[in-house]
Amino acid sequence: MSSTDFHNQRSVWQSFLNRFSTDSLVAPDPLTDRTLVAVIFILTFIAALTAGLVLFGSAATARWQVLLSSEVTVQLRPQPGRAIDADLNRAAEYLKQVQGVTKVRIYSQDETLRMLEPWLGPASSLGGLSIPRMIAVEINPDAPPDIQAVTQQLAKDIPGTVVDDHRSWTKRLTKLGNTLVVASALGLILVLTATALAIVFATRGAMVGNREIVEVFYFMGADDRYIARVFQRHFFSLGLRGGILGACLALIILGALRFMIAGSDGLKDIFGFGAADPLSSVGVAIIIAIVAVALFVSFLASVVSRFTVHSTLSRLV
Amino acid sequence: MQAQSNRWGGELVRFENVGLRYGAAPETLTDISFSIMPQSFQFLTGASGSGKTTILRLILQSLKPTRGMISIFGQDTAQLDKDGLTALRRRMGIVFQDFRLLDHLTIYENVALPFKIRGRMESSYRAEVIELLKWIGLGDLIDAKPPVLSGGEKQRTSIARALVSQPELLLADEPTGNLDPVLAGRLLRLFVELNRSGTAILIATHDIGLMEQIKGARRLVLQNHHLQVEG
Repeated sequence: MSSTDFHNQRSVWQSFLNRFSTDSLVAPDPLTDRTLVAVIFILTFIAALTAGLVLFGSAATARWQVLLSSEVTVQLRPQPGRAIDADLNRAAEYLKQVQGVTKVRIYSQDETLRMLEPWLGPASSLGGLSIPRMIAVEINPDAPPDIQAVTQQLAKDIPGTVVDDHRSWTKRLTKLGNTLVVASALGLILVLTATALAIVFATRGAMVGNREIVEVFYFMGADDRYIARVFQRHFFSLGLRGGILGACLALIILGALRFMIAGSDGLKDIFGFGAADPLSSVGVAIIIAIVAVALFVSFLASVVSRFTVHSTLSRLV
Repeated sequence: MQAQSNRWGGELVRFENVGLRYGAAPETLTDISFSIMPQSFQFLTGASGSGKTTILRLILQSLKPTRGMISIFGQDTAQLDKDGLTALRRRMGIVFQDFRLLDHLTIYENVALPFKIRGRMESSYRAEVIELLKWIGLGDLIDAKPPVLSGGEKQRTSIARALVSQPELLLADEPTGNLDPVLAGRLLRLFVELNRSGTAILIATHDIGLMEQIKGARRLVLQNHHLQVEG
């Protein structure tokens, strides 16, 4: 290849690259631009993680609610002069007949003592202490039995019976879930407000730094809309860069959380996912939410910078 | 290159008893009256700080007069809205004393800026810009960026940017201020060529030697806040 050919090829390549650089009419300021990308990255990460955790938390809460509402516990307290095993069998037989009950299981004396062991110590230390016994009743959550009628019937037939349908827990969980959603929404609003403020300051800084360029644009016949568009494009690009980085990190963290839960039966039980893939039900929603947060942050950067330019131009030039 | 035709046939610029003061200070410019005709050539001169750049800024409407009337292309600037002002500026070209090139853009991109601002597709002006750059001797530097150019090359780039959109009026603020006499003379001949092709020229300078090179050019002389028209 001759030197002329090489020079020509280089010029073609240079011209090709220049075509892409013509859009960046705002003079790049590496330090300020990198700082803003870092700020947007951190804020997007917090916002995306919050959105992801809200969805994840809501899914876990919903699972807990399903689990709680699909099981009823019947407790029998020992009564003087009554055989507790016979009462348990009678109660179980009655429950099996009730419409909406899918499974009835009596917890044996040994199972009950094992469950109480963490609080009361080994069974041997309890001596002959009478302890309540329990029947786990699984019900169809879509067509549940009339719990009030069951409670009344059992109380009439077998004294010392207490039916717990976990209603108080379900109510508390709903309250907790709602509180979580409201708190997270407020957190998201605060994070997005902080992002908007950071962009306002960055835009003003960029405009002061590019004051002479803005003046040159004016003298060449640019109007406010054109100048606003130039800055808008610049900040959209920075917002998108920060947003993508923040969203990627949030996806990695939530992905790691998924594998942590999937690999641990204990965590699966805690989050109420049982044998199911912990994020299969909400995974797509979380990804969509995180991508939406990143895009929204870029959009926010673009719109806020445009408004800031319009409000600053008259004072600047 | 042909300048666009002047639609009303009158003055391009008219100042009538224009005064300018900053705050409560005495007037910087007092009772300034002059006009610039199409295809005319004039120097605006005076000592440093006499107000040459201020008059250019008044023509460009980046400053508003405290009193008096300024009319540009037949329009009273006091009645102009933002869109009207933008339209007027598109009919003028400006060469800044400090060049005001965008350092992060190439010479080609700097010169093509007026077209880009007007929303034209690059394919419609690329050949025109390259032709102009060749004409002023910058054909080999289209991909260079301003920081690597000499003072003369920067000045020619700045002039090319002012000319590329074929303005009816070219304003130049000390265009040869940083150049040696030989280069200054070459640039002046470039302005004369432009003037012959139809562009009215107003050059602000305090260089008497430069003015003497153009015989018969009108001189607008600023002295003690007043302006006298010679020639």
